[in-house]
Amino acid sequence: MRPLPLAACLALVTALPFATAAQDAAQPAPAAEAAAPAPAAVTGDAEKGRQLTYTCQGCHGLTGYKNAYPSYKVPKIGGQSAEYLAQALHEYRQGKRKHPTMRAQAQSFSDQDIADIAAFLSTLK
Amino acid sequence: MSTAVHALRLAIALTAALALAACEQDNSSHDAASEGEAEAAASSSAGLPPGRVAIGEQLATAKGKATGQSCVDCHGPDGNVPIDASYPKLGGQYADYLARALQDYRKGDRDHALMTPQAASLSDQDIADLAAYFASRPSQLRDLHGAY
Repeated sequence: MRPLPLAACLALVTALPFATAAQDAAQPAPAAEAAAPAPAAVTGDAEKGRQLTYTCQGCHGLTGYKNAYPSYKVPKIGGQSAEYLAQALHEYRQGKRKHPTMRAQAQSFSDQDIADIAAFLSTLK
Repeated sequence: MSTAVHALRLAIALTAALALAACEQDNSSHDAASEGEAEAAASSSAGLPPGRVAIGEQLATAKGKATGQSCVDCHGPDGNVPIDASYPKLGGQYADYLARALQDYRKGDRDHALMTPQAASLSDQDIADLAAYFASRPSQLRDLHGAY
């Protein structure tokens, strides 16, 4: 019976940091999962976007990082237009673009969050 | 009874840990400095054949039957000057990501008024070639490494 509690501790220690990270990601605003699109209605704040994108680094900050499944490299998103980025996040949130991690991330964002994130990422050079 | 609950919790925690560990695994290819042709050729995303940059260049300027437009008609020279702000820049993007996007459009997993019909008639080889070509172009894109 001894090994089991040990294994449990190990599992928890491994899982906890991830759980915390996931909560951080969800923190910004589970607010307005509004009716439908209307992405153009809000103006992005790049400084807020900078803070909101800290968690994005987990995948988009590792050069050449690959999704485990499906397996392809996580795209470079810095320098894309704010319009394209906002559209992508809205499509992930609605499930129109299919990627489990990105969908989960996008669902934690409000319209304002998406505009802020898009504003920040589009300024990167 | 409490032993059973205990065991269940333990099982959940273990499963979570294993799943997370699995997610972390494919982290090997950190060296993406060589995105160009070598990279493109090496990326056989989802069983695609190796991409050929020169052929991809020809395809990128060929008018698609469905739309009457070529890739660069909308995404601009080198894929870097989209004619509409909602269109992505393609130059220097990872080839396997570009290929995946085209495959998703072709399959109907991603939808766009122009891209869906445009991608419908592409073969696996076309997709690999186009992806290789745009990945080999100069880029205005970057990842978030060192962005803060």
